[in-house]
Amino acid sequence: MDFSAVGAAAAEALTLASFIGIGGGVLLGYVVGVIPGLSRSVAISIAIPMTFYMSPYIAISFLIGLSKGTAAGSAVSAILLNAPGEASSAATALDGYPMAKQGKPKTALQIGLIASVMGDILATIILIFVAIPFARVALLFGPYEMAAILAFALVFIAGLSGGNIFKGLAAGGLGIFLGTVGLDNQTGLPRLTFGYTELMDGMPLIAVAIGTLALSEMFVQSEKLRYERADMAVQMKHDPNDRITWPIFRRILPTILRGTGVGTFVGALPGLGPSVGSFMSYGMAQKAAAEPEKFGKGEPKGIAASESADNAVIPAALIPLFGLGIPGNVSAALLIGAFAIHGITVGPLLLRDNPELLYSIFAGMILASIIMLVLGWYGLMVFAQITRVPPHVVIPIVIFFCLAGMMLQGYGTFGLVILMAFAALGYLMKKYDYSFVTFLVAFIITPMLELNLRQSIILSRGNWEILLNRPIALVFIVCTLLALVALILRTIKTGKPVAGAPAD
Amino acid sequence: MNRRALIAAAAAIGTLFTAPMALAEEWRPSQPMTMVIGFAPGGSTDIQGRVLARVLEEHFGQPVNVVNQPGGGGAVALTRFLNAQPDGHTFMFGVQLGLTFSPIVTETEYDIDDFRYAGTLVGGQFGVVARGDAPYQSFEELIEYGRENPMTYAQQLPMDQAIMEIIAEQEGIDLAIVPTGGGGGMAPLLLGGEVDFAFSGGTHAQYTPTGEMNVLAFLTRERSPFYEDVPTLVELGYPYAMDDFRSFFLPGGTPDEIIDAFENAARFAVEHPDFVDVTVDNTLHPIVFMDASETEATIREIREANEALMAN
Repeated sequence: MDFSAVGAAAAEALTLASFIGIGGGVLLGYVVGVIPGLSRSVAISIAIPMTFYMSPYIAISFLIGLSKGTAAGSAVSAILLNAPGEASSAATALDGYPMAKQGKPKTALQIGLIASVMGDILATIILIFVAIPFARVALLFGPYEMAAILAFALVFIAGLSGGNIFKGLAAGGLGIFLGTVGLDNQTGLPRLTFGYTELMDGMPLIAVAIGTLALSEMFVQSEKLRYERADMAVQMKHDPNDRITWPIFRRILPTILRGTGVGTFVGALPGLGPSVGSFMSYGMAQKAAAEPEKFGKGEPKGIAASESADNAVIPAALIPLFGLGIPGNVSAALLIGAFAIHGITVGPLLLRDNPELLYSIFAGMILASIIMLVLGWYGLMVFAQITRVPPHVVIPIVIFFCLAGMMLQGYGTFGLVILMAFAALGYLMKKYDYSFVTFLVAFIITPMLELNLRQSIILSRGNWEILLNRPIALVFIVCTLLALVALILRTIKTGKPVAGAPAD
Repeated sequence: MNRRALIAAAAAIGTLFTAPMALAEEWRPSQPMTMVIGFAPGGSTDIQGRVLARVLEEHFGQPVNVVNQPGGGGAVALTRFLNAQPDGHTFMFGVQLGLTFSPIVTETEYDIDDFRYAGTLVGGQFGVVARGDAPYQSFEELIEYGRENPMTYAQQLPMDQAIMEIIAEQEGIDLAIVPTGGGGGMAPLLLGGEVDFAFSGGTHAQYTPTGEMNVLAFLTRERSPFYEDVPTLVELGYPYAMDDFRSFFLPGGTPDEIIDAFENAARFAVEHPDFVDVTVDNTLHPIVFMDASETEATIREIREANEALMAN
């Protein structure tokens, strides 16, 4: 490592302008994250033109700060309103909302924030010191390995949302079915688009996610407001015991470390994305716990697992970006554009041609994490005031933001119709206890699974023996089969949810 | 007539005549303009478009708002563009594939005749790439190698697949073709050694300087100015080409004087250092200027070529 470059980088990171730029990015991201309906990729795409007037270092750090802020902020609406802003925070709501309802909203928020910041800083450190030289390891994960991992993730996540396996299969099957809509990626021919050009790229992910996660929850809550007004919403009391304590922190620390590991692994593999990371982490925390039945009922480890992995994915997605020039997910792909606007080509050349800039960005990322901790700590006191606003005011505002967030995507009224359709679907799934989590994850994973499976079959020329030379893929295939068998046995034995099912 | 002279002339006679008469010389926008981009923010079309918007503000003297309407490789934006007012205040900075390819494989509500075309600014650089350390360093060597060994190819569009299938059959190569889902998916497949060679829509530009990738041949009709030694397929004796350019699209029924104004705007932009920098240095595309009639002719030519290819 070039130490003069590191010194110069640190000096640039500590200027007033960089504090303002990065702090502004984190704050903006945090606010966007808190508001259900506005998502990370929307925030980044709107913010890219704002960076035209910044220096490259501040611009990139601003955007990275923005994505970190959204990941931390989206925990707030998941915990307080049960309306996660993005799919990756849906796992946070599973335990965060029950905990908040039990009179510990501030503790839940603090756990979420600390897990976010720690996952973030640790993953950033891994990115700086370990990952870039080893970015090539990601190339060992070819189509066979990716297909096997995706299949494993699908079964594993379906398993943790519990309940009746047949209802789970129905929800997952619907997700897979809707995930196949759009242009076939080899022949370019439309599948199930019914002549709508809007569906050529598939069902818009944002509409599906906002509809089933946030908007449907508002429908559920409006109904509750009508019939069971007393039991509504989270109450914020001035309870001195409602804060994170040292024993709680010690209890969740191993979970945070595991979550960071899962998030870093998932982020470093191009294409998997934060929702796979947070749910995998949640499932592993549950499997490792002494009392797995507490998950889904306000278990602090559940919040810590989901948030640490969600945030660790963001720096980790930069590993293939800086090491190989391959974006790890949508937000990283947007960053390539931002770099290009500032005259920088991202990829392996960056370290050789522009080490000072790269180190400045790393310094900026660490700074962003620290700013996030401070802003989040005081910010959550402010955002916690949301709980004082009566639900009949909050619900229409959230619905407005969901619709507005959809309009920002540029799909026009067509997007709103799709959004409402998925909100209705999400409402019915929640009502009749079908896992919307399984549905959503299946929907997100299907296009990637299909592509990788297809590549594997074509490249192997139909000869399955090729898997014997692919030990990583083989391991994941065996794990998938084991998980599937375990799932079937569990249903036969109990027929009851184990955990992670809706809180009531 | 250049812009400065025009302004001077307009100012001089503006006191004598009413404004519309002065504007009859060259059309000028009277309100803020909207530039539609058929891709999500962050891609190369979007990046070039956003810089182009600032250059056009300078040229037209009106703010230019960028609106992204992603979907279907530009098809969604083109469908909505059918309803745009032909008054010059709404225009598209578009990729031609939505016109030269999409209508062949799917029923689109629009076709080439529904729009007007007012000048081309950017060229494409579709090529065939291989790893830098592959046992073949040119397209001829690839063919030689392929006659002895079964090969794998990563496609991105049905057209490049069709071209490779024809060549493979003609040369007796056992070729398996996989989809990639775009340039971002191609790089790990090729660099990870999963496929032997691949189509590249421009992704190669960031890997050729390190020697990680080699461009073996261009599918475009002319050689790329960035790789002057690399031949085109046509030069190698395979009469197939694929091309794509980025041009101004205007709603059908737009009057000629507005088309002329945009043609001049395109001329202005391709010489503007900001636009040239972002296109050539940052998004690694060649600047290619064509006037309005040449642009439309090229779109029709490419469409016919694609139709012939897809009929195979």
